[in-house]
Amino acid sequence: MKKVVLVTMLFLALASLFAGGKSEQSTPVANSFAWVEEGTIHGLPMVNPLKVTGNIITAGSSTVYPLSERMAERFKEEGYRGVITIDSIGSGAGFERFTVAGETDIANASRPIKAKEIDAAKSIGRTPLEFRVGTDALAVVVSKANTFAKNVTKEELARLFSTATTWKDVNPSWPNEPIQRFIPGTDSGTFDYFAEEIFASNPEPLLSAKNLQLSEDDNILVQGIKGSPYAVGFFGYAYYAENEASLNILSINGVEAVKANVDNNTYPLARPLFLYSDAAVMRSKPQVAAFIDFYLSYVNEEVIKVGYFPASEEAIDKGRKLWLEAMQGTY
Amino acid sequence: MIQHVGNHPFGKKHRPHEVVIETLLFLFALFSILITVGIAFILVRESFLFFADPDVDLLGFLTGKVWQPMIGLFGFLPLLNATLTTSLIAMLLGIPLGLFVAIYLAEYASDRVRGFLKPTLEVLAGIPTIVYGYFALTFMTPLLRSIFGENRVDIYNTASAGLVIGILVLPMIATMAEDAITSVPKDLRLAAYALGGTSIETTFKVVIPAALSGLSATFLLALSRAIGETMVVALAAGAGPNLTANPFKAAETITGYIVRISGGDVSYNSVDYNSIFALGLVLFVITFTLNLVSRKISGLFHQEYD
Repeated sequence: MKKVVLVTMLFLALASLFAGGKSEQSTPVANSFAWVEEGTIHGLPMVNPLKVTGNIITAGSSTVYPLSERMAERFKEEGYRGVITIDSIGSGAGFERFTVAGETDIANASRPIKAKEIDAAKSIGRTPLEFRVGTDALAVVVSKANTFAKNVTKEELARLFSTATTWKDVNPSWPNEPIQRFIPGTDSGTFDYFAEEIFASNPEPLLSAKNLQLSEDDNILVQGIKGSPYAVGFFGYAYYAENEASLNILSINGVEAVKANVDNNTYPLARPLFLYSDAAVMRSKPQVAAFIDFYLSYVNEEVIKVGYFPASEEAIDKGRKLWLEAMQGTY
Repeated sequence: MIQHVGNHPFGKKHRPHEVVIETLLFLFALFSILITVGIAFILVRESFLFFADPDVDLLGFLTGKVWQPMIGLFGFLPLLNATLTTSLIAMLLGIPLGLFVAIYLAEYASDRVRGFLKPTLEVLAGIPTIVYGYFALTFMTPLLRSIFGENRVDIYNTASAGLVIGILVLPMIATMAEDAITSVPKDLRLAAYALGGTSIETTFKVVIPAALSGLSATFLLALSRAIGETMVVALAAGAGPNLTANPFKAAETITGYIVRISGGDVSYNSVDYNSIFALGLVLFVITFTLNLVSRKISGLFHQEYD
């Protein structure tokens, strides 16, 4: 009989363990804007990360990822003790989770939201708010071992990533070696942006190219490009900055990807970086409002360190105004 | 079965908890069957969505040479080809190595050596496959590149992934092949020795042929393991579908594609997303068939010598 009792108890203990795990998740989080401090920065209330409670879920662009990660780190250094998730899955997938499943609080994006994504969001009761956080100079890179390519024109770029088989096909002075291509996956904002900018929004030539490797993980692309003098690829500038020692960046139409050229809009592949959230989400989860507030207040102190370029003050201010409108009357 | 009667202390009547435990265990067994059925059901239902798509036809799926779902190209041959390439390379390395290890362990090794070798092999079996993946990328690939030349061997290639899968299935082949060899009746060996056979003749001309059906079953199971292997190919074999016979070129396998798409590319209800279930179904059918055949073969084996 003893054994029966023992087995039953063990079973009950196990069962209660699982049940315990579940009930813990459903405990409500106290809603409060206790983190709002006296004083303002650029018009936004000061955030005290020590007083922010609750978790934040974000997902989206792998280009925005290093920037969001840096901001989250600073948020934690200054006292935030919750868990902030940043999934690097591509802008499209990020919007999907934000607008269809509605399972994330913030969508990171390296392209503006599309009309059909706004519609999807509306159907689950969300109205996406756009916050500009920085500017990326999309980097077209080759290995350090590549000694011949320094500059490409936009026309050459189109051939390089579609019909050309060898480097010679792109530019007669380049070697007669097959091109190995490493590009971001089809759901990435970087892929969309490149297709839009170089192929008039038609992804077909890009995807029909030979020797093509696609990945949402930019580090896999970096590894691949490092691997051969005849490899080429593109991704957010931060991944180039991080791997400067082993990669060369090509200038586009003779314009280098440097701050001055990005600021005065002459670099042809400069593009905006965004966060998207929703007023109702920010109201019901004050930690999300706090994080975005914190992000918009300090992003310009961090953006260069990560390897991107600051957006203009007006562009960021637009987001700050949106934040204030969305949060009116909550604190 | 011994029947207990009357008020015997161990009588079945007086142990109601036996019934409880038996029922519980039966439910657990049933549960595992239900899971298998559930997986098969989901795979079939979701792949039906894929094949119901007007752009997709079964013939094109099975015979097409380009896989790029986003622009409407659904030929799964490049993915299948890469899966077969990595698996074949894995078998070319894994089967001879595993077989020789098994022969040594079963027929030649002293107890002391066995006591040391077996646990070491088991450690190999316990290494997470993602570690094997990085081993392929950071050790095997550079090794191949230094032997065959940087320009001939791509940074991501099927040869490196295949070789590492071969190492990965080695402990499995060795353990199962050893079981097959040791279950050959001792009489056969003694008869061979009595006829004047040396130990190498006995091993290769008598024991191995006698164990052949058990060994074939082992190899088939190892093959199905290699075909389903995911992490190694996702990391080392390449991330773009490519129909090539050259094992030094990058080519994405079925499992590699599924990982890449589900690891971020997911747009629910898109054709890309549904395609991974169709590919999953293909994998399921392949490995399921291999496992069935392998069971059949090992069944034959028992009939022969029992």
